[in-house]
Amino acid sequence: MKILHPRTFILIGLVAVIAVVFQSLTPNYLSLRNLGGMLSAMAISGIVAMGLTFVIVLRKFDLSLAGIASLSAMTLGFALFLYGNLWIAVVACIGVGVICGAINGALVGYGRLPDVVTTIAVGSIAYGMAFVYNGGADFSKNFFSSGIVAMNYTKVLGMKVPILLLLMTAIFTGFLLHMTRYGQAFYAAGENPVATRFSGISVNRMMIAGYALCGALVGLAMLIQISGIGSSRVTAGGQILLPAYTSVYLGAALLGRASIPATIAGSLVMTMLLNGFTLMSVPYYYSDAVVSLVLITAIVLFDPRILIYLKSPRRLVTG
Amino acid sequence: MTTVLDMRGIQKRFGPVTALDNVDFAVEHGEIHALLGVNGAGKSTLIKILSGLYQADDGQIEIAGQPVSLQSPADAIRAGIASVQQHPELVGDLTGYENIFLGNEARRPGLFRRVEHGAMRAKAQELLKRLPVPIDLDVKVQDLASVEKEIIAVLHALKQENVKVLILDEPTSTLTRVEKEQLFKMMRVLKDVGVAIIYITHRLEEVFEIADRFTVFRGGRNIATMTSEDARQGDVSIPQLMLDDEMGALFPPKATEPAGDVFLSVEGLSLTNAFQDISFEVHKNEIIGFYGLVGSGIDELGKVLFGALRPTAGEIRLKGTPHAFASPADALKAGIFLVPGDRRTEGLVLADDVTFNTTLANHDRASVFGVRRFRQAFRDARDLSGKVDLSPPTLNRPAQAFSGGNQQKIVIAKGLYSQSDIYIFVEPTVGVDVGARATIYRQMRALSKDAAVIVMSSDCDEVFGVADRVTSLYRGRMTQPLSRDITRDEVLSAGLMGTAA
Ligand SMILES: Nc1ncnc2c1ncn2[C@@H]1O[C@H](COP(=O)(O)OP(=O)(O)OP(=O)(O)O)[C@@H](O)[C@H]1O
Ligand SMILES: [Mg+2]
Repeated sequence: MKILHPRTFILIGLVAVIAVVFQSLTPNYLSLRNLGGMLSAMAISGIVAMGLTFVIVLRKFDLSLAGIASLSAMTLGFALFLYGNLWIAVVACIGVGVICGAINGALVGYGRLPDVVTTIAVGSIAYGMAFVYNGGADFSKNFFSSGIVAMNYTKVLGMKVPILLLLMTAIFTGFLLHMTRYGQAFYAAGENPVATRFSGISVNRMMIAGYALCGALVGLAMLIQISGIGSSRVTAGGQILLPAYTSVYLGAALLGRASIPATIAGSLVMTMLLNGFTLMSVPYYYSDAVVSLVLITAIVLFDPRILIYLKSPRRLVTG
Repeated sequence: MTTVLDMRGIQKRFGPVTALDNVDFAVEHGEIHALLGVNGAGKSTLIKILSGLYQADDGQIEIAGQPVSLQSPADAIRAGIASVQQHPELVGDLTGYENIFLGNEARRPGLFRRVEHGAMRAKAQELLKRLPVPIDLDVKVQDLASVEKEIIAVLHALKQENVKVLILDEPTSTLTRVEKEQLFKMMRVLKDVGVAIIYITHRLEEVFEIADRFTVFRGGRNIATMTSEDARQGDVSIPQLMLDDEMGALFPPKATEPAGDVFLSVEGLSLTNAFQDISFEVHKNEIIGFYGLVGSGIDELGKVLFGALRPTAGEIRLKGTPHAFASPADALKAGIFLVPGDRRTEGLVLADDVTFNTTLANHDRASVFGVRRFRQAFRDARDLSGKVDLSPPTLNRPAQAFSGGNQQKIVIAKGLYSQSDIYIFVEPTVGVDVGARATIYRQMRALSKDAAVIVMSSDCDEVFGVADRVTSLYRGRMTQPLSRDITRDEVLSAGLMGTAA
């Protein structure tokens, strides 16, 4: 991998510009405290975005993120309510994500269903099921005794747990996607499923793996989010879709292709923007609009099909 | 004769690669001009500049004496240039006739403008009269065979009016005899009404059949332009001009040692609507060949043997044990590799580089415990790209940046990397120049030392030249058992008409 690509300098420049602009507007922007806060905020959206990266590399969409997140969050709360044991709850919360994701992948892969509609459906079913546990009411029993609340601020290896989890996820997914045969298979399956099948790789299995991994990381992100809030609620996943897509696409636009380093870069830039707006007390509906604008710009920059289409609408399929 | 197209001092670079180096190229009114050269010589690049897809870095272009600036395909069309690219790009989920009229659909004027399908269909049928080949224009293009896509692309170019120069970039590489003859007939008609035709091919025998003059490119330079007549009389060797070297034997010697154990045997294999009752054996240390036209079932036979399609009847045995493959993954595991006929959809991940593509089908060799061995893979890919004559041998370039013939070489390299017991090559040298073809045939012979090799092709000379035992497929049936004692003409006529002459 070429680290010193010109795009890397563009990225560094962009980060510097954002930092300088917000620092001049709000003096606390680059304080250690705020930087720590930024990293914590990045933990949730960054982990989801890294999971989504696998689906995007497969050239598919996953619009079930929010639904899966709500179900994971409520499953987590319910498991704590029943058993009061953090580890059981963690397994349940991530496990639900894996199962929902695998269902997505199986339907899109083996079932040959269109990804957008399928994941919307699976997402709404998951969202509906989130209400089953408690009729839509929150869970907060056993939250303190199980240690989930403490998890949010406890330091391990000198890092708060959420930041440690972000780092570990980055290392794991980066290794998987860029150093292993499975990563090569993800890229191949996304770019040319036929040639991939002819190379002895099951594209359907890659679909299941990609969506399941995405679901698992949504579960992990919910664990962090719930530990910060201190209770499980059905609305937990409401805000994760937009930042996740923005991170992946913005990163891909910056570095030329969807990848884990690209997603981390995208997530960083987006978190810096959002955090700056928050410090300046810009209302969330304006900052959401700005994020959406960034997303659209990134899509236009990244998706080669859109670019080709803009140049000449006829060049879509090669003979 | 008047010059209709005059290109002078054309220069084009892609990063460090000089694709065209100060090229002069001229075409006369009403001539058929063949453009020749090894893979990567710059032929397609020149064509893309002429059709406005690429812009030259330097140089002038004059059409009918007028200087023109070709900044876009629209400019080229306006200047009277119609082109069929080497890999025509069509819209998969539109039908044949919709693709033909893409960009200028027949419309009814007025507020409720809509596309008039009836008028388009009628016009398309009229075009088909110029190039009479049986083809269903109401089928979506993605469901068509590559021959048919090529025909659609040709019709797309023909629909244009006021054509001064028609460009055909390797149209015959996928065409079968019948369509090729129709195409040649049409080219002669167009020539008679004064259209100049630039024709790119790697089948050198076609040059004397159709072209008035030809030009040879080598390494991005125009090496020679001469009339076919002069070349014939002066006994000029075109391969030598292209390669700048004495052309050795195209085909390697046949097997000298006796064939070894039976590696693959097939009994009564059938696939509905494709082929019936195929039985044969192939041994270690031999190459067998199937000659068959497009539609004869060779493509499907290759895919069934590789597990990409499931047979409706019959048995496949590997070294004596019956196998039923559910997918190519099973077949690969059992030691079969298929070099598929359609490189761009079945063979390559175009956006990724040579190393990525070469190693994709053999992860066991390219990784330890799942972790990729980047250095080892790079070294292996470098060796293999040398073996297949890849040019340029730049491994970190995406496959799509290579010329058509070189993309085919990457697919061959991927096959060589797979270390299988049985290799199936379907149309292995489509678009590959003569020099590189000899290299690929030599590799097949080398492979057969430890493996059984099956070649399936619509090029009779290829099958006959490279294989030890040959047969042909006609409408899904083997015309005779594989045989060593059969002449080329017998193979040819059996493949064309079903019976040995
Ligand atoms: N888009 C591109 N990006 C980078 N290099 C390119 C690109 N297109 C062509 N080249 C390079 O330019 C050179 C000429 O390629 P070109 O496609 O013109 O060859 P060609 O004569 O048509 O060969 P073939 O017979 O294989 O089709 C080659 O070295 C090729 O690798
Ligand atoms: Mg070419």
